[in-house]
Amino acid sequence: MPSLNRSNPPVPVAEGTLLPGCAALYDGAACGLLLTTADGTIRRINATACRWLGLDADELVGQRFQDLLTMGGRIFHQTHWAPLLQLQGSVAEVKLDLKRARGDVVPMLMNAAMRTHAGTVYHELALFVADDRHAYERELMAARKRAEQLLAEQARAHAALEEAKAAAADRAVFAEQMIGIVSHDLRNPLSTIRMGTQVLEMTAPAGIQQDVLANINRAGLRALRLINDLLDFTHARIGQGLSVDVQQVDLHVVVGVQVAELRQAYPARTLDHQAEGTGACAVDADRMAQLVGNLVSNAMAYGTPGSEVTVTTTVHPQGSAVSVHNLGPAIPEALRESLFQPMVRGTQAQFDRSIGLGLYIVAEIARAHGGSVDVSSSEQYGTKFTVRLPAPTPT
Amino acid sequence: MTVLDRHNVTVEGSGPATMVFAHGFGCDQNMWRLMAPTYRDRYRTIRYDLVGSGRSDLSAYDRSRHATLQGHADDLLEIVGEFAEGPVVLVGHSVSAMIGLLAGVSAPGAIEAHVMLGPSPCYINDHDYVGGFSRDDIESLLTTLEGNYLGWSSTMAPVIMGAPENPAFAEELTNSFCRTDPDIAAHFARVTFLSDNRADVSKLREPALILQCSDDIIAPLDVGHYLQRTLPNATLRIIQNVGHCPHLTAPCASMAAIDAFLESVESARSGG
Repeated sequence: MPSLNRSNPPVPVAEGTLLPGCAALYDGAACGLLLTTADGTIRRINATACRWLGLDADELVGQRFQDLLTMGGRIFHQTHWAPLLQLQGSVAEVKLDLKRARGDVVPMLMNAAMRTHAGTVYHELALFVADDRHAYERELMAARKRAEQLLAEQARAHAALEEAKAAAADRAVFAEQMIGIVSHDLRNPLSTIRMGTQVLEMTAPAGIQQDVLANINRAGLRALRLINDLLDFTHARIGQGLSVDVQQVDLHVVVGVQVAELRQAYPARTLDHQAEGTGACAVDADRMAQLVGNLVSNAMAYGTPGSEVTVTTTVHPQGSAVSVHNLGPAIPEALRESLFQPMVRGTQAQFDRSIGLGLYIVAEIARAHGGSVDVSSSEQYGTKFTVRLPAPTPT
Repeated sequence: MTVLDRHNVTVEGSGPATMVFAHGFGCDQNMWRLMAPTYRDRYRTIRYDLVGSGRSDLSAYDRSRHATLQGHADDLLEIVGEFAEGPVVLVGHSVSAMIGLLAGVSAPGAIEAHVMLGPSPCYINDHDYVGGFSRDDIESLLTTLEGNYLGWSSTMAPVIMGAPENPAFAEELTNSFCRTDPDIAAHFARVTFLSDNRADVSKLREPALILQCSDDIIAPLDVGHYLQRTLPNATLRIIQNVGHCPHLTAPCASMAAIDAFLESVESARSGG
C-alpha cells in the first residue's frame, strides 16, 4: 500500500512565515487532488496522486480521468455518478479502481464537487487509497455471499424434507385406504362362512363335528371383530373420526347383553358385570358393545390366566362410566403414554389375538361420545380401564 | 398497488399530446429536471421511475418479469395507457430508448414517435457489430457496483458535500437521487448490458430521432450509425458532447434537435 510518510518530499516554507505555502500543501496533501474540466480532462493533479498512480504530472495532465478507471468504473461513472455530480453538485464516497502505470489497479475512494472558475465549470476530485477498506469490504461481501448460499442450501434442504414428508404421508394414506378396501371386501366371504356354520348348527351335529363347528364359529367371530376394528381404524384415521348413532338406552342392559355374549366366547373364564345407579343414558348401543368387547378381550389376553374379569357400568346424573378390571402384571409406565395409539400392544400376549387396534378404537369411541378413557394399573390391584362419558347436556 | 405508486409517476403540464420521459440505467426521473419543465406549457409531460429504480415500489421488481427489457416495456405501455392523453412521444434515455422500442414493436401505434438519447441495441461487440464492450467489461461493471454497495443503498442517508454553485439545489438534496436496492441494481445492470435487441430494431414503424453524443463510451458513434441504418424511419443527430447524458450536459443542443423532430412529427400528424 502506498505510504503517505515514506517519500513525501520536504515542503518548502513560504517566505516570512514558518508554515508551508498553499501550493506546497496542495502538492503534498495527504490525498490525491485533481482538477478536471467538465468532460473529465485532467488540468491539475497533485504529487500525491501522481505517486499513487506511478505517473508524472505531465503524463497525466491532458488525459481524461475516466480513462484511468477500469471499464466497469467507466460505465459506473457515465451512468451513475457523473449525472449525480451534475444534479447534486457533488458526490461522496464513490469507490473506484484506478489503473496504475505498472498495470495493476488500486482501489480508491473519491469525493467530487462541481465548481465554476472564471466562467468555466470544473470538477474537483479528492482521492484516497482504500486498500485495507477494500480488503475488508471484500471479506464482508464474501461472507454475505456465503451466508446467502447457506441460506439457499438450507431452504433447498427444507423443501426436500417437506417433499419427502408429503410423499410419506401420501404412502400412509394409500396404505390405510388399502386396509379399508381389503377389510371391507373380506366381510362378504366371512358372512358366508358364518351363515354356513349357523345352518350346520341347526342340523344338531354331534361329537367331533360339534367341536369343529364351535371352533369355526369362534374363529369367524374373531375375524369379524378384527375386520371391524380395521375398518373403524381407517375411518378414524382418514375420515372424520368414528361415526356414532346416539340413542336413549339403558347402559346396564346394553353392556349386560354384551357381557353375556362374551361369556360364551370365554367359557373357561369368570366374567362379572356390576351395575351402579340408574341405567338411562344417551349412547350408541352398538359402539358400547364393541367397546366392552375390545376391553374384555384385552383383559382376557393380558390378565392372569384363569383370573376373574369384572365389567362395571356406572350411570349418574353427572356422567356415566364403563370400566373393565383384570388382575395381572402392571402395564409398564413407558407403555401407558402410547397405549391408545394404533399398533401398540403389550409384550405378554399369549397369542396374536389382534394387531393392536382394540384400545385405539376404544379411545375413538369414547372421543366420538365426547368422553375419554384412562387406565390405572399396578401389580397389587391389577389393571382397570375406565371410559368416562359426559352427562347429556340439558336441552 | 397502483401504476402511479409502482412507478412514482409525475404528471405535469397540459397540451394536445403527451411526452413521456424515461430514464436510463443508474439514475431516476430526476435526470429530466433540466429538460422536462421546458415542455410543460405545450405538452402533458409524464416522468416515472423504472421499477427497481429511484422511488419506484421495489417490491414490484420481479426477477422473472424484469429478466428482459420486455418486462419494462410492458410497464411503460401500462403507464401510457393510464396517464397519457392524445398522441404520445417517448423520450427515452439509454436503456429506456430500447424499452420504448420494444413497447413500440409489441403495441404498434401506442407511441407516435421516439426520441432516443444515447440508445444502444447491444452493448457487447459481436463479429462486425461494434457495441463498445466485451463480456468481461460488463463483469467488471458488476464488480464496481458491488464495491459501491453502500453508495447505492436507499436506506443510507445521502452524504452531500454541498453544491457551492447551486445553493437552491443543495436544499433539495435531503432526498436522494438515483439510489436503489444494490441487488436490484446488479440485476438490472445484467439485464441492461447483456441485452441484445438488434432483431427488433428493424420492426419499429414509428419515426425515431437518434440523439447521439460525439464522444460517449456507453453508446459509441458506430452504434448510432448502426441504428440509423437499421431503423426503418430514423433521423440521426450528433451532439457535440462528452459523456452519456446530453440532457444534463448539453440540454440546449439536445432540446433544439428534439424541437425540430417534434415539429416534423406534428406536421405529419396534421397531414402537412
